[in-house]
Amino acid sequence: MIEYIKGYLSSGTTPGEAGNLFWATVYILLVIAGVSVAVLCMNWLERKILAHMQIRLGPMRVGPHGLLQPFADALKLLIKEDIIPHDADKLVFWSAPVVVTMTAFTTFLVVPFGRTHAVTDMNIGVLFMLGVSSLGVLGIIMAGWSSNSHYPLMGSLRSSAQMVSYEIAMGLAIVSAVLMTSLQTGTGTLSMIGIVESQASQHTWFIFKFFPLGFLAFAVFAIAMVAETNRAPFDLPEAESELVAGFHTEYSGFRWSLFFLAEYSAMLAVSSIAVTLWLGGWMRPFPNLLGGPTWDMAFSFLPALTFFVLAAGCFLGTIRMPKIPQFRIQTIGLGTFGALLGFVGLVLLVPAVSVRIQDIYWFVVKVAFFMYLYIWYRGTFPRYRFDQLMKVGWKVLLPTGLGVLIATALWGLMPQLSAALTGVLQ
Amino acid sequence: MSLTPLLRKIFLVDLVKGLKVTFHYQPPSEAITEQYPLERPVIFERFRGQPRLNSNPDTGESLCIVCNLCALACPEQLIVVKGERNPATKRKEVVSWTYDLSRCMFCGLCEEACSTDALELTQDYEMALYSREGMVLDQAALERGPEPEKYAK
Repeated sequence: MIEYIKGYLSSGTTPGEAGNLFWATVYILLVIAGVSVAVLCMNWLERKILAHMQIRLGPMRVGPHGLLQPFADALKLLIKEDIIPHDADKLVFWSAPVVVTMTAFTTFLVVPFGRTHAVTDMNIGVLFMLGVSSLGVLGIIMAGWSSNSHYPLMGSLRSSAQMVSYEIAMGLAIVSAVLMTSLQTGTGTLSMIGIVESQASQHTWFIFKFFPLGFLAFAVFAIAMVAETNRAPFDLPEAESELVAGFHTEYSGFRWSLFFLAEYSAMLAVSSIAVTLWLGGWMRPFPNLLGGPTWDMAFSFLPALTFFVLAAGCFLGTIRMPKIPQFRIQTIGLGTFGALLGFVGLVLLVPAVSVRIQDIYWFVVKVAFFMYLYIWYRGTFPRYRFDQLMKVGWKVLLPTGLGVLIATALWGLMPQLSAALTGVLQ
Repeated sequence: MSLTPLLRKIFLVDLVKGLKVTFHYQPPSEAITEQYPLERPVIFERFRGQPRLNSNPDTGESLCIVCNLCALACPEQLIVVKGERNPATKRKEVVSWTYDLSRCMFCGLCEEACSTDALELTQDYEMALYSREGMVLDQAALERGPEPEKYAK
């Protein structure tokens, strides 16, 4: 048994490839816990950043700087009354949030946080992710239909129309990235790990490949993924001013929090597709420009440094807390939190840990950048009208994606084409 | 169609401009939110809040001479002053004084009408109560003036 558990550690592959059930379970639990923690952090960060963008302060009362707000919210949602409308289709109403959450979490099966840090390496990884995440639409339609109410139905219909039309542009952008993986070897790959590895072997992230084609494909995907996750400025399915809350109007308490969880983990999932396909996945930036052991060393300190900066921020916060007795507990709490972050930073300085954590760190940093973009968009852009949304999807993104795909294919075939052309001419 | 609007559309210039604006608002020092019970707003001198009946600081006697001008000035007729002539001092003295805060719109006409500066609308604004009865202030309450509760966690 011990041998079985230990045997994986030296294999240098994902648990799925090694066929090790124990480590696969551990990884799945870790990923689910990690995603849940990330959603909690996102809850706080979104409220805080959005508030600051709107010149407000955001949560300030529950814990120092509102740090305990997500926990208070979660507790409130858990003990809230769980209402099922009288005329609702009970079974479908019950299963809709389960479907949405399950699909959102299942996509993380193939997300490569590092060469060995993925649950499994499926040879159809991207396809699997797209397929499973678009099953989420089903859950949304189920929620809207079973509520037996006008607004949820309108919301879910909008949502399905939107998701179906943006999936095409998204798919075209992805295919053009998958085409790029076949450039050196001749055979492309859909495996998420394979895509990152081909970026490593071609010494460039696909966003910079065939400039501006890689960038264009990335831009199409970046727009489509916002629409795909029903976020501002494409948040028509849950447009507060028009549809109350869209497809989850009739949901309350724990069921509603499942929808919330699913929305944010879907955002994380599509962001990780974007990171894997165009931003080099777990690879650190500038491996060519700033190569060599010295730079590797310097970059390996960054994870610890990040935590030290966060800890320093916490300590700065403790110093700037109002010096009155009512704030003593908050000040102590913030100081403890800072000390905890500093401790994590110290742990990350240990060479054995820092080697294993490197790739996860870079992946998470890149995904975090996308999550910030999501909040930034929400703080800035007004909502699209439905016809504008469809126009952007079908008349702009789809032709652009198609054009980029064809241009990428032609550019990739350039050597053969020119050889054939010279052959014909001679 | 000229080329510039098209290029602006293609390169999403307007969207980027908007993003820049929200990005620059981010430092928390920009926030104009007031943490109310801890931080209090600056109240201007001419702000009209909860009324108070002033008394002579030297003798402690009420400054009110029961002239009834405030009651006449009040557009809501929420001030009721009753007085009686004291034969010893040959002055009118207050018997009952009521001020119904629940109907008051803080126009300040009573304050202006008062000939002895007895009635004054103070700068206190924390007048929320749990019952309507407490909104009708009698002479004692008016002379005590506003007593805001201290904020405790």
